[in-house]
Amino acid sequence: MTDKKVIEEIEVKEMLKKYGINVPDGILVRDLPEKIDLPYPLVLKVSDPNILHKSDVGGVILNIKNYDELALKFKEMKGRFPKSNFLIESMEKPGVEIIIGLIQDKTFGLSIMFGLGGIFTELYKDVSFRLVPIEEYDAKEMVEEIKAKKLFEGFRNIKADKNKVIDLLMKVSSFGMDHYNSIDQLDLNPVIVREDKAVVVDAKLIMK
Amino acid sequence: MYEHLLNPKSVAIIGASKDERKIGNVVLKNLIYYGYKGKIYPINPKNEVIFNMRTYPSIKDIDDEIDLAVITLPAQLVPESVKECVEKNVKYVIAIAGGFSETGEKGKELEEKILESIKNSNTRIIGPNTVGVYLPKSKVSTALTLPDRTALPGEGYLAFISQSGALGLLTMDTISEYGIGISAFINLGNRIDLSETELLDFFKEDENTKSIVLYLETFKNGREFFNKAKQIVKSKPIVVLKSGRTDAGAKAASLHTGALATNDNIVEGMMKQAGIIRAYSETELIDYGRALGYQKPLYGDRIAIVTTAGGLGVITADYVSSENNGVGLKVARLSNKSKDDLKNVIVPFGSIENPVDLTADGSTDQYDKVIEILNRDENVDGLIVYALFQTAKVDSSLMDVLEKHMKGKPMVVGILGSKFGKQMLLEAEKRGIPAYPSMERTVKAMKVLYIRGKYLEGRDIK
Repeated sequence: MTDKKVIEEIEVKEMLKKYGINVPDGILVRDLPEKIDLPYPLVLKVSDPNILHKSDVGGVILNIKNYDELALKFKEMKGRFPKSNFLIESMEKPGVEIIIGLIQDKTFGLSIMFGLGGIFTELYKDVSFRLVPIEEYDAKEMVEEIKAKKLFEGFRNIKADKNKVIDLLMKVSSFGMDHYNSIDQLDLNPVIVREDKAVVVDAKLIMK
Repeated sequence: MYEHLLNPKSVAIIGASKDERKIGNVVLKNLIYYGYKGKIYPINPKNEVIFNMRTYPSIKDIDDEIDLAVITLPAQLVPESVKECVEKNVKYVIAIAGGFSETGEKGKELEEKILESIKNSNTRIIGPNTVGVYLPKSKVSTALTLPDRTALPGEGYLAFISQSGALGLLTMDTISEYGIGISAFINLGNRIDLSETELLDFFKEDENTKSIVLYLETFKNGREFFNKAKQIVKSKPIVVLKSGRTDAGAKAASLHTGALATNDNIVEGMMKQAGIIRAYSETELIDYGRALGYQKPLYGDRIAIVTTAGGLGVITADYVSSENNGVGLKVARLSNKSKDDLKNVIVPFGSIENPVDLTADGSTDQYDKVIEILNRDENVDGLIVYALFQTAKVDSSLMDVLEKHMKGKPMVVGILGSKFGKQMLLEAEKRGIPAYPSMERTVKAMKVLYIRGKYLEGRDIK
């Protein structure tokens, strides 16, 4: 890990935006701003390349409803991570949570993964892989391959558009192609998928 | 170029020996035993006469082009011998001996020496640490098998590439019992030079090969193999049995994707993406290779089942349609027209619904008419036909009927039984009809036709 470089979340999201990938609106700050131009509720996250798994160390606070609450939570967070930056983002409405990732495989090179997100990723290991680059048909098969595929086919009136997932997989594949030799691992987890769009809520990128 | 390997005009045995305990004796004996028709050049430094054949002190003393040289010498003598082959401009060299990189650093150095001497030459190496090749058409076998212990298959349509020699030989021995042939067998061994990726190209060109089946433990260069396979499956089916599935050795990972990226997850995805059919046993490897080699892809998932035994019909229907202990295809709903037509063919106590049951009253002629009707039914994409021979009205002429209908929709055949059934399985094989001795194997063969059809259709490959 020592020689590998963790990219800051806001930077990763800026990179993703260039590929037409949706990310929440947000700002990177060191101190609490006097005014926030983002719609509530908000999310407050520690943003520090040395802290890869933010939630494990209490570095993520969800569902902040107003400025007073933000000020309170910010102070708390600042106390915990005095030397770090913070990311303030609008909180995404709920949907189906998925994970999309990239990984270097020593035999096959850069590979892309799709699976069910959140805690289910590790619980069910319900994932599918392909080699980068993928074609649209591969993306479609990846979604249809996992056991939870029904979540994207109107199961119990859940509205998560399969085509938004396919579209995102294609974009991540393009991103992978453009950084083929420099990427070590990428995790977009979770990505929230709804009827109208798929939004990358958290992004972790490690370069070689 | 591959012609020199798959159909060599001359074979030199380096280390040919009178001593029956030496590899050089067995290889030469087998070459004669299997009836190789090309020129054989035994190389023996003492210039002895072996099996009434003149020998040569060195490969360089032969006044002829050598397509294939088989080095039967121990590992430490191999690099020097390869060097001479390069000087002689031998096209392919098989180095049989073990004792190379599989044993450690010293062996690895020997391999590096070999690679050094073939650099910038036309000489290619198979192995080392290999049983070599078995080429039924050219009647070349370099394997050290004893003909009274081990059978080798006749000529057929499957190219068989195996990283393991023993698994390859045992599988060939087994399939010989069912008259299943191969176009060529190549054991990669330590594959310091010639790899599975290049061989795909050989067999793509080889007219005798209709499908390529591989047993692999690792990929020499995974990305190249993927790219090549993806191209080749457009015209020839590829089936891979890949071992090491349970190696849960996930990558040194700090993120989720890495932790989930086990070797096998990526291999699985790679195969799906390339259109490679995956086998999980040696039986599936050959079964699938035959189905795909003999039969067209299945476009659509609606299967009609024909039987004379009701039990087989219902078990097969379960197997076809179940997602859990089955293959997840559909049991076709026959059109009303088909049902009316079937009524005129089958006895009243038979079934005109799918599975179509001719009952013990079924005859060869009824089979013919029923298959005809199902081939016309637009609700049917493929057929599973059980050719069962316990009843009086069905005889061996059923094979003619089945062969005729090979032109129709994709069809696989199940033939159960050990006596006449076994004979008919052999007969089916001769005619290139994909037939299997169990329901499970029959249904799974159908499934791979479907997987291939879906792959080709999804990517607009005609």
